[in-house]
Amino acid sequence: MAVVMSLLLSGCGSDNSGSGNTPAADPGKSNQETSKNASDISGKITFLTNRTDMIGKEYDEYLKRFNEKYPNIEVELEPSQTDYNQQAKVRMASQELPDVMFIPTIPNSDLPKYFAPLDDLGLNDQVTFKDFKSFDGKLYGISSGNSTSGIVYNKKAFADAGITEVPKTWDEFLAACEKLKQKGIVPLASNFKDKWPLNNWVYDLPRVIENNPNFPNDKLNTDTPFTMDNGYGKAMGLLRQLNEKGYLEKDINSTNWEQSKKDIAAGKFGMYFLGNWVINQVIGAGTTSDNVGFFPLPYDNSGKPSAALSPDFFYAVAKDSEHVDAAKAFVKWMIEESGYEDFAGFIPPLKNKESKLAQLKEFQSGGVKLQEGTVDDPVVTDISNKAQLDLPAVAQEFVLASDPQKVLDKWNAAWAKARKEVKH
Amino acid sequence: MFGSLSYSKQKMIIIISFLTVPLLLLATFTYYPAIKLVYYSFTNWDGYSPEKPWVGLDNYREVFANPDIFKVFEHNFAYFVMGIIQNIIAIYFAVVLNNRLRGKNFFRILLFLPYIMNGVAVAFMFGYVFDTTNGSLNLLLGSLGLSGLSDTSWLGTEGLVNYSLASTGLWRFMGYNMVIYIASLQAIPQDIFEAAKIDGASSMQTLWRITLPNMKPVIQLNLFLTVTGALEVFDLPFVLTKGGPAGASQTYVQRVVDTAFAYNNYGLASAMSIILLFFVVFVLLIQQLVLNRGGNK
Repeated sequence: MAVVMSLLLSGCGSDNSGSGNTPAADPGKSNQETSKNASDISGKITFLTNRTDMIGKEYDEYLKRFNEKYPNIEVELEPSQTDYNQQAKVRMASQELPDVMFIPTIPNSDLPKYFAPLDDLGLNDQVTFKDFKSFDGKLYGISSGNSTSGIVYNKKAFADAGITEVPKTWDEFLAACEKLKQKGIVPLASNFKDKWPLNNWVYDLPRVIENNPNFPNDKLNTDTPFTMDNGYGKAMGLLRQLNEKGYLEKDINSTNWEQSKKDIAAGKFGMYFLGNWVINQVIGAGTTSDNVGFFPLPYDNSGKPSAALSPDFFYAVAKDSEHVDAAKAFVKWMIEESGYEDFAGFIPPLKNKESKLAQLKEFQSGGVKLQEGTVDDPVVTDISNKAQLDLPAVAQEFVLASDPQKVLDKWNAAWAKARKEVKH
Repeated sequence: MFGSLSYSKQKMIIIISFLTVPLLLLATFTYYPAIKLVYYSFTNWDGYSPEKPWVGLDNYREVFANPDIFKVFEHNFAYFVMGIIQNIIAIYFAVVLNNRLRGKNFFRILLFLPYIMNGVAVAFMFGYVFDTTNGSLNLLLGSLGLSGLSDTSWLGTEGLVNYSLASTGLWRFMGYNMVIYIASLQAIPQDIFEAAKIDGASSMQTLWRITLPNMKPVIQLNLFLTVTGALEVFDLPFVLTKGGPAGASQTYVQRVVDTAFAYNNYGLASAMSIILLFFVVFVLLIQQLVLNRGGNK
């Protein structure tokens, strides 16, 4: 499940300027208006969800509250198989979409073929990442929750190792790692083998290092997108440095994701560099919320923290749904009232909502600048696919290679070739 | 109502009605998808859009223009080696368990059980066995005093990872091969063995001159299964290593799946599948040629 989520977190970002602090206008008012005719909306809708773990538990509770407001809408939950993205695409190919679903990775120009515009939900001025799943000025997808990435750490492990303050610079970070290592704690759990846990190193960090939200799309204009001194080389270099100093797992090719959560919770591992969605999972693996902290990764010595903000899955309503109104009402309710984002550990998808998570408050206390990215350029995606470029896999090669420059050269060559073929 | 029909007509009706269902199933789930696959291999379909632009032989050209794609077959070599060993062990156990032996059914079941288990579950299980720091294999080696070996990264060393993975396949499929061998052993007429015994043949001579030659067609069948299995490995590396470290355990089928589902290029992936199909046929032809050199029986 986490794999699916993190895959989606990958190449993302957008340009809403607020960081979720805008005070709510008067949420009660708009709710009253919709509830007037709430019972008029009826129909049976299906929702294809990736959170199979919530079926029979949280979703039951959501649906109960939902039906108090919309008594005539029947929601049927359909659990997805392991790969949501793939399954959704198969359903799109067969033209049998569920009424409510998350948008798989397709170009935005294809959105109108499958999904209904959501502009009439009255959320347009509140949603984050509004341009992310829009086409021709129409909104087709609304983020179900947003994420940032940073260091999730075990506070007790830090205290045991004698780290009194969270590191503000890369040098301080390395010093903290050394202290953890001396104490017999694995400083940072990379989960290198599983590849997807490296997503934040290659999708988030480079654009933050470059201070350029559009950095991933700038690949379009060059034949050598990967150099040692640009965002990609620097970000992967940091990971390589941590590995060389022995600050990652003893054998990075033999890691175990499920076990690592328990080890972080127990303080055998010190840190993760992952999205904030992992916080609740670590707590669930056997520790208390006040033992888990979260701070931005200090990728350089400037002392000015910044981090990437990315959306998770986007809710969408199928164009050919028989009960579009019911489906839309469900989406609106999930975003405004379900409380799903707090359960899943997301930053709320609406600008005027504040997170209830203590860790997110800690994260933002150091004055971190949250950088939102832009929509992936479909041409860049085309070239990446043509070159069979998989950035986390490149990072793996980069860290393991005896000569990392050769890895960059190889992928630059593949990129240049694919770019020529796609652009011709 | 059939009474008025002639006997041969009744026979025809029965044959047709009995064959319709299995043939329909075969056509729907084997031939139709296969024909579709050939068709897709001439398009550059992205996997979900309604348009499937025709590109002719472009996909095939692209595959053959990229030697990297065929390099992954080197990784399959380990599975082939392990497959041969697997067959030798299987013949050994088949011969042993075909004798009069106390509890032989128990041992047969014991050896066959891994085959019944789900492939992904097996892969998952061996993930724990091969784990470097907490894995049972390294713990065992450590407690045997082989501390030099107990730090081995079974799935993280480039030259070793494919053999580690293939040994899992050996554990899983050996019992299956064994059952086939036992069946063929039991089909050898006992009087040949008795005659050999009377002539004073040793057990080694009996094995070499009577048992093995009589099992030749079945050995061929098992080798066929081994070779195609080795060329089409997917689940083990997919679950255990994701093709890592740095692509060292990636197999051809995994590459096909990535091309289709990760890089949205169903056309190219279909072409790769068709090429694999021909490759398998080609390898099997060579195998037939080599094994039948001594003249057919």
